Amino acid sequence: MTVHKRTKKMGIKERYASMTRDLGWETSYQPMDKVFPYDTYEGIKIHDWDAWVDPFRLTMDAYWKYQSEKERKLYAVIDSFAQNNGQLGITDARYLNAVKIFLTGVSPLEYAAHRGYAFTGRHFRGVGARIACQMQSVDELRHAQTQLHSMSHYNKFFSGMHSHKMMHDRVWYLSVPKSFFDDAMTAGPFEFLTAISFSFEYVLTNLLFVPFMSGAAHNGDMATVTFGFSAQSDEARHMTLGIEIIKFMLEQDEANVPIVQRWIDKWFWRGYRMLALVSMMMDYMLPKRVMSWKEAWEMYFEEAGAALFEDLGRYGIRMPKYHEVATWEKDHLSHQVWSTFYNYAGAAAFHTWMPNDNEKSWLKDKYPDSFEKHYEPRFDHFTAKKEAGERFFNGSLPMLCNTCQIPLIFTEPGDPTTTCYRESEYKDDKYHFCSDGCKDIFDYEPEKYIQSWMPVHQIYQGNCGGAELEDVLKWYQMDLGVDNGDYHDSEDFKMWTEWSENQKKAV
Amino acid sequence: MLTQRLGEEMFELVVEPTGDVLEVKEGQTILDTLLRSGISIPYQCGHGLCSTCKVTILEGEVDHGEASPFALMDFERDEGVALACCATAQSDIVIEAEIDVDPDARIIPIQDFDAKVERVEKLTGDIICIWLKLDKDLDFQAGQYINLQVPGVAQPRAFSIASSVSQSDLIELHVRYVPDGKATSFLHNDLNIGDTLKASGPFGRFFVRKSRTTPVMFIAGGSGLSSPKSMILDLLDTGFKQPIELFHGTRTAADVYDKELFETLSSEHKNFSYTPVPFDISDESGADWVGEHGVLQDVISQKFEGNFKNWTAYLCGPPGMIEVCIRALMQGRLFEKDIFTEGFLTSAEAETASKSKVFKRI
Repeated sequence: MTVHKRTKKMGIKERYASMTRDLGWETSYQPMDKVFPYDTYEGIKIHDWDAWVDPFRLTMDAYWKYQSEKERKLYAVIDSFAQNNGQLGITDARYLNAVKIFLTGVSPLEYAAHRGYAFTGRHFRGVGARIACQMQSVDELRHAQTQLHSMSHYNKFFSGMHSHKMMHDRVWYLSVPKSFFDDAMTAGPFEFLTAISFSFEYVLTNLLFVPFMSGAAHNGDMATVTFGFSAQSDEARHMTLGIEIIKFMLEQDEANVPIVQRWIDKWFWRGYRMLALVSMMMDYMLPKRVMSWKEAWEMYFEEAGAALFEDLGRYGIRMPKYHEVATWEKDHLSHQVWSTFYNYAGAAAFHTWMPNDNEKSWLKDKYPDSFEKHYEPRFDHFTAKKEAGERFFNGSLPMLCNTCQIPLIFTEPGDPTTTCYRESEYKDDKYHFCSDGCKDIFDYEPEKYIQSWMPVHQIYQGNCGGAELEDVLKWYQMDLGVDNGDYHDSEDFKMWTEWSENQKKAV
Repeated sequence: MLTQRLGEEMFELVVEPTGDVLEVKEGQTILDTLLRSGISIPYQCGHGLCSTCKVTILEGEVDHGEASPFALMDFERDEGVALACCATAQSDIVIEAEIDVDPDARIIPIQDFDAKVERVEKLTGDIICIWLKLDKDLDFQAGQYINLQVPGVAQPRAFSIASSVSQSDLIELHVRYVPDGKATSFLHNDLNIGDTLKASGPFGRFFVRKSRTTPVMFIAGGSGLSSPKSMILDLLDTGFKQPIELFHGTRTAADVYDKELFETLSSEHKNFSYTPVPFDISDESGADWVGEHGVLQDVISQKFEGNFKNWTAYLCGPPGMIEVCIRALMQGRLFEKDIFTEGFLTSAEAETASKSKVFKRI
């Protein structure tokens, strides 16, 4: 057998370090603490920035080369999708409502991430962490752009996709994802990475990004599938950054452990609450289902999450607080959320509908302990009203949770027939919450959350275009009677039906 | 082509920059081969989408399998880049991967040996010591193991070498009897002096990192004393000056073995300290036990006052013991880069539970 001599050249890791670590220096005109004012005030103690292990080793010159090649491939697919009328290949126009939520709820978060990582990178005095953040910042900008470009083709034909940015800033349910990211971006740099890189990209990503991408694949949306692949080759780097920042903080000083635990508790719950939107997408909005929310939760959180927290247990980190509540809710979450959006379809920039018989039997099959007993009767009632020409729209404004900004629609843990209300008093005002998880988050930092921009409060205070629903929806930049309402009364449905008939005739 | 076994093609995989030489089966991915050999490279998705596990093929042919065109671009394929999680060997190959070069790892070619049973001794109720006379010298790093072909058992079994590296053709193995274990029951019950067994080695990445200048501690559980014994003999022989701590955890006082040897060593070497820790001394054998006893990791933490900073730890024994000791060490601020482990798994335990990617080696 041949024995190979060990090569003397530097390994990939050493090469990377030698090309990047020199980019930082000790400042001399100004003290380091003044140049980097934010990386100490959260209480995280770092003794040795050189102990940072670079989570990925991609240099800028290689980065541009890879990404430009990826772009070429992606745009070739998008072009051919447009030229071949790819919109006709999807399963059903109902599917586009999932895309509308992605476009207005998720893509703007990619842009927010771009800003967040640029800012955070600037404020780490450790050069390894700084470069990792700056590289991710460029990735996120690219993700936002390619997503918008991929989905723009649908905007030529379908409603609700003409003003994603303004809607993200203004529409009531989009304040859920927006406030999530704003909360992270207004925290310090270490909390931002715990929130986004670890809790979101590492722990929960399989419950957000993956359902949308596999939903697209199952429903013939090749444009979205392709940007999914293109982005996924970046995601691994982002997940690795999430693990590295956690390990780095936990190893640098034991005083960091309780701080990191609190952040994990907070951002697990905030992330989980935001995923409520994904749960209804998976169970109700995909004409061709991939898997149920419950199955996804079991696979990605109960199994993979348990293995992760088992390992983190070595550092003294335990499972996030209220994880058992989230697990209990897996039988109820999507039904409660979809029911709410069905109610408020008059004020949403996408359409809702009631599941048909096939879909109901799928739901019964996936949710044997909850659907038939608790939700089917309500949905049958809605369906009967609709058939009688009395489609139900809720005309009142709901009370919102002061932390996650979701209306108080969830039920008590263990009791699906009682709505869960929590409240706190702060400086003589009362604040309302959907859960113990959200109440705890508020109680720890009330000064931060009393400043929340609460869509319902803002409407009542006259800051959203006027007093009538119509005024508010105009201010949201929604096209009334087109973007909102029941799917079966929509122009999307009418157009899709015509297209389908034409295609049948052509065959 | 390396060998032809049961109609299955095997290729040789050389890994740079370490120079490790591995066998790869037809259809087995490069990543799988590396991980099974204890070589860690970065990876994430495991199915060709994320591109974390990129390696460069320096020589030979691979099939790229299901690698996504976005994760592995055409120009990269032309340049010899592959995704380890999808690539399978089509010939003998040489790859360059992102591996931390361990300055203390020696490259020792694996050889086959005829090993003649020279002596067998009962160490405890369920552990025997087997001395094997080899047909030629075995070059190894203290802490490594050999594979032993046990008659009537298809797959070879791994046993750590307990003897000193200076004793290169007579090696000592500690074999615990595993209830219902085919190999260990043969070795305990049917082995005769003068029998010749087939062996190969050396294997393993559990060895003393001599380039480190920190004090070292060894934590051994049961027959997991074997590797540490060899490692400690080597350190003392070569004049290692830093403090050396050995903790040997056992069930009862009767399960403690080599006590006199280590007591002698600690009286001869000021820097060596030995602490046997039987868990339970309530039985007959523990009646006149003097010294520490109880929960191993608690005894260790107490002795160190919960602070292991600036030490290097070597852990060898059953996986359960290793896990609780890792937790104690990490609570005392010692982390992965300073912890080395050799888990003794029975062949039944070898398919272990899922782990996250938080840790690479431990």
